[in-house]
Amino acid sequence: MRSKRIYVALATLLLLGVAMIAHVVLRQEQRKLSQELVDQGTNLVSLLALQPVQDLSGEKANFFLRTLAEYVSPSGLVYCFVHDATGVRIASLGAPDLVSKIPLEIQTVSLYSTELKTQKFPLDGSGQTIYEFAKPILESGGKSGTVRLGFRLPTPSFFSAERVRLMGTVAFFGFAMACFVYYGIVFALRRLNSVSRSLKNEWMEAPSTQKGPERAAGIDQILREFEQGLSVLRGRMKELEKSKLDLETQYGVTSFEKNQLRNILNSMRTGVIITDHQENILHINVYMLRLLDRKREEMIDHPLPEVVAQEKLPALVCHPDMEAQGGKGNAGEVNFPETSPGHVFQVSSTGLQDGEGAVVGRMIMVEDVTNERMAEKAKQEFLAHVTHELFTPLTTIRSYNEMLMVGEVTDTETQKEFYNTILEETERLQRLIQNLLSISKIEMGALTLDKSLVKCEWLVRDCIAAVEGGARKKCITIDTHLPDNLPSLVGDKELLKIALINLLGNAVKYTPEHGKITLSLTAMDNLAVFEVRDTGYGISGEDLPHIFEKFYRSKDPRIAAITGSGLGLGITSEIVHLHGGEIEVQSEPGEGTQFSLRIPREEYYLGKP
Amino acid sequence: MENRRRILVVDDEGPIRRVIEMKLKNRGYDVLTATNGLDGLEIIHTEKPDVVITDIMMPKMDGKSLCEQTNSLKQQRPFLTIVMTCRISPEERSWIARMKNTVLMEKPFSPSKLLEEVEAYFRR
Repeated sequence: MRSKRIYVALATLLLLGVAMIAHVVLRQEQRKLSQELVDQGTNLVSLLALQPVQDLSGEKANFFLRTLAEYVSPSGLVYCFVHDATGVRIASLGAPDLVSKIPLEIQTVSLYSTELKTQKFPLDGSGQTIYEFAKPILESGGKSGTVRLGFRLPTPSFFSAERVRLMGTVAFFGFAMACFVYYGIVFALRRLNSVSRSLKNEWMEAPSTQKGPERAAGIDQILREFEQGLSVLRGRMKELEKSKLDLETQYGVTSFEKNQLRNILNSMRTGVIITDHQENILHINVYMLRLLDRKREEMIDHPLPEVVAQEKLPALVCHPDMEAQGGKGNAGEVNFPETSPGHVFQVSSTGLQDGEGAVVGRMIMVEDVTNERMAEKAKQEFLAHVTHELFTPLTTIRSYNEMLMVGEVTDTETQKEFYNTILEETERLQRLIQNLLSISKIEMGALTLDKSLVKCEWLVRDCIAAVEGGARKKCITIDTHLPDNLPSLVGDKELLKIALINLLGNAVKYTPEHGKITLSLTAMDNLAVFEVRDTGYGISGEDLPHIFEKFYRSKDPRIAAITGSGLGLGITSEIVHLHGGEIEVQSEPGEGTQFSLRIPREEYYLGKP
Repeated sequence: MENRRRILVVDDEGPIRRVIEMKLKNRGYDVLTATNGLDGLEIIHTEKPDVVITDIMMPKMDGKSLCEQTNSLKQQRPFLTIVMTCRISPEERSWIARMKNTVLMEKPFSPSKLLEEVEAYFRR
């Protein structure tokens, strides 16, 4: 409906345009024709007026008028009059009734004019416009007559042959252009239409209601579909933006977690290699790279057997059976002498599975077990050592006893010596057993104090008695510096005895013959300070930080030559700490050693548990 | 007596050296003593004892090293080595099997048994 109205308006406009153009063209044509007519008339009348009046009358006049009628009339000459000086018409060409149709004032103006005169008037009854040109004939200084020519202004025709041809050509080209443009637009519209429809079908939830063969829809329709498509697109864009944001957040979280995992792996003191099922390395941590002395980019995505040295391969690579079910297996030990000399590494391998239980790769872990191995070795050495320490006094006791029993020893002096040795060895065994019990209690965290009042006098006496025999054999003198008023303290008497005997025993062991040992006791406000000083070998700077460690034995050959369990000082230190006290050591190699025990003096109330 | 049998006792424990020395001397043997494997090795080279009685765990050089270093000497001049040890483990047994003319004696030992072992060797 709307488009029909548009068509009508367009057609009207077109018609109006054509009419205006035709009008303008006709006006132009008329102006041109009248100009030509004026020129022709002026020229012809001027030419005729040059003739003597006699030549235009009589016989000559007829000849002249006939020629004029023959050549000029067809181009619009209506009449030709020649008047004499008095105004009498002496020759005339044209219809006989013409004279009466020409208005009188026109003739008057023409006859009385002394120069060329052009006048225009409508011819009565015919509706034509006539142009009259008049010029006086001048002879021997006076006017001898007048020539008048009347021309009809030709009516211009819009449909001249030339114009029709031109218009035909223009119309043809116009038509061709219109066709071309029309089909161009239709083609473009069809494309647009199909694009908009596919847009709709693609993006809208409900499929397009316009089904059937494609047809060129109106621009209106296409625009509407485009708008719909655009709004759907905008909606989709928003959704996409939102989901993009969600994805970015998720990605951020995931990459954060991934980084965390990588940092955890990299901070581990265990080598980790993760491979896929074809042994290609997917991840390797910093510790492992350091062990292999390789760069990450040299390892990642490379097959493990290609990048690991040949001798390490059996430990790292070949054990598919144990991981087939995703289990874990220990693959053995490996060394990295170039990067970690002297260390032993245990390799274990774990199969990695996906959700369905298929093996997707494995994780190889390389752990430094040097300390464990060393601890194991130390334990074994300790066991051998303790066995030796226990069996040595037993051996002495048994063999001496047998010698006495079978009567092999006859003289009383030697018998006495043997009995003494048996006693000393028994005490040595007892001390060792006590130390072993203490150390196992310390190990279990079960060493507790059985507190009671300890009289220092008795404590010192008992301890000296325990080491006196050994000292005497080496001609070592033991001095005691005790205050007049010996303090008492609260503590575990037996443990304190063990602590002091260990110090005194060490002093006897590691002091050469004819040396001197001093045990002094000082009572301070809250402390009882025991000091054991000797003139022994002393402790080297290398050994000093380790002397309280369990099983530690000096490498000094003079000290290593003397048997010992490496337990005494560790136990002593533990006992002193349990009493809330401190142990201190000062030593000068070659000069001697001084140990100080500071034991807090607790008030003891009778009845206190 | 020029031809008295010579026995070397190597042990870092004085009382043990003392009792073995006494037991053997009472039977008329010539007894030499050393307190560690290194000294023992020197005496074996210089004094050429007929029997060496040695402890395992000793400073400077242990009994095992002493045995291993003297094993080749036994080809030219055979002598018995008695190794005294606290625990006889399978490793020690297989080790001793590789040593020529060497026997193990478990600690604590009986001096009489030790003497029997020595005399049995000399009777051979």
